[in-house]
Amino acid sequence: MEELLFIRQEVAPALLQGLWVSLLLIVPSAVCGLFIGILSGIIRVYGHPILKRLAGFYVLFFRGFPLLVQLYLWYFGLPYVGIYLSPFTAAFIGFTFCSGAYHSEYVRGALLSIKRGQLLAAQSLGFNKFLAISSIILPQAIRRALPGCGNELIYLIKYSSLAYMVTCIELTGQGKILASLHYKYTEIFFIVGGIYLVLVSIATWMLNRIEDSVRIPGFERPKDFVTT
Amino acid sequence: MVIAEAGPVLRVQNIRKWYGKHEILKGISLELNKGDIKCVVGPSGSGKSTLLHCINFLVQFDEGRIWMNGEEINYNSKRALYDFRQKVGMIFQDFNLFDHLTALRNVQIALVRVKKLSKSEARRRAMVELERVGMKDHMKKYPAELSGGQKQRVSIARALAMDPEVMLLDEPTSALDPELIGEVHSVIRDLARGGMTMILVTHEFGFAGALAKEILFMEEGVILEQGPPEKILSNAECERTREFCGKINRLHKGTD
Repeated sequence: MEELLFIRQEVAPALLQGLWVSLLLIVPSAVCGLFIGILSGIIRVYGHPILKRLAGFYVLFFRGFPLLVQLYLWYFGLPYVGIYLSPFTAAFIGFTFCSGAYHSEYVRGALLSIKRGQLLAAQSLGFNKFLAISSIILPQAIRRALPGCGNELIYLIKYSSLAYMVTCIELTGQGKILASLHYKYTEIFFIVGGIYLVLVSIATWMLNRIEDSVRIPGFERPKDFVTT
Repeated sequence: MVIAEAGPVLRVQNIRKWYGKHEILKGISLELNKGDIKCVVGPSGSGKSTLLHCINFLVQFDEGRIWMNGEEINYNSKRALYDFRQKVGMIFQDFNLFDHLTALRNVQIALVRVKKLSKSEARRRAMVELERVGMKDHMKKYPAELSGGQKQRVSIARALAMDPEVMLLDEPTSALDPELIGEVHSVIRDLARGGMTMILVTHEFGFAGALAKEILFMEEGVILEQGPPEKILSNAECERTREFCGKINRLHKGTD
């Protein structure tokens, strides 16, 4: 009884508050990260050589540096050049660029998997390169990239827990505070982990729905194939 | 003012193309008057396909000039290239239908995006072209749901919708099962009857002979010999042409 009261009065409000901050971090970084990823993926396949190299460096650094190190640089590093980011902004920017770098790889792979004939056919009809990529190549590539990009979203949900290392108190941060305050690490972190599990399940369900809704013959998911 | 005598629709002069040190096209020239049908035959690797891609500027050649209706195409101007390509329909060996679009939208999309027609107008036009190739009943299907012959017919409809003045057909039936070749041939025959100007790369000698006014035999990047079908296909002057054509003819007799 005492436990339930404790959870209702102390744990739930704090964790809900943390969950809200987590969602505010995850959703915008997911959207912006995907956008950056698609853009840099396209540049890396079809872009001008100089832009291609720049996009390549972007992916190299943001996949190469540990995310925690990136967050430290955004939050603790930038003040040395006179730029002060709030913990939330630093976390948002860190997640967006890191996520974008991974998306970029999925999108690049998907673009490369589209047969060259598709571009040739579009060009032979008078499409310019931009139109051909945006209306012929990209719609196909995105379908192929969806499973990978979805996977990246799942990762993002979980690595958003690093935000509390730059003092942006989201779900894990709230959990940490509660746990050390009441000295109930096991219980609190079980609840916190469970909430992430629920978030991931919801995201997985939504991603499947999206995949279903854009599915067309020739772009099926593997489960549609008979394997025996 | 004197009305100029109708010159060639398409004139290709001295096209050369290198891949590294290897010269694929060694100065190809040809002319097509309105309604002309020329067939290009020759062993694989002779540059037939590259020639068609060059004529449409899908492959950038190293030397040579191309005129359409007396006007030289300035390949440094992207705008000029986009306009030119709209007037030249290209049919590929492996169809290259847009895999994410239905048959109808395959035909419709260039009308909307390139020709800037309204969606409803483009749709109407696309349906007319699909009907012309006998594919109207399948217009809601995706490429993955169509047979090879059906795909190729849709791709012909897609090219026709742009009102091309010349069609380039790159082995349109080579990827098809023998029993599907007929339906594509009959569509091409209809085009010929309608007076379409065409260059057709093919190994189907019977079809080429019945269709074309002139056959060009190509090998190692040069046109070795050209002339009317009866001469090239069965009575060529050049020994190499005779040898190649003889082989293909025997092959076809053997399968009959």
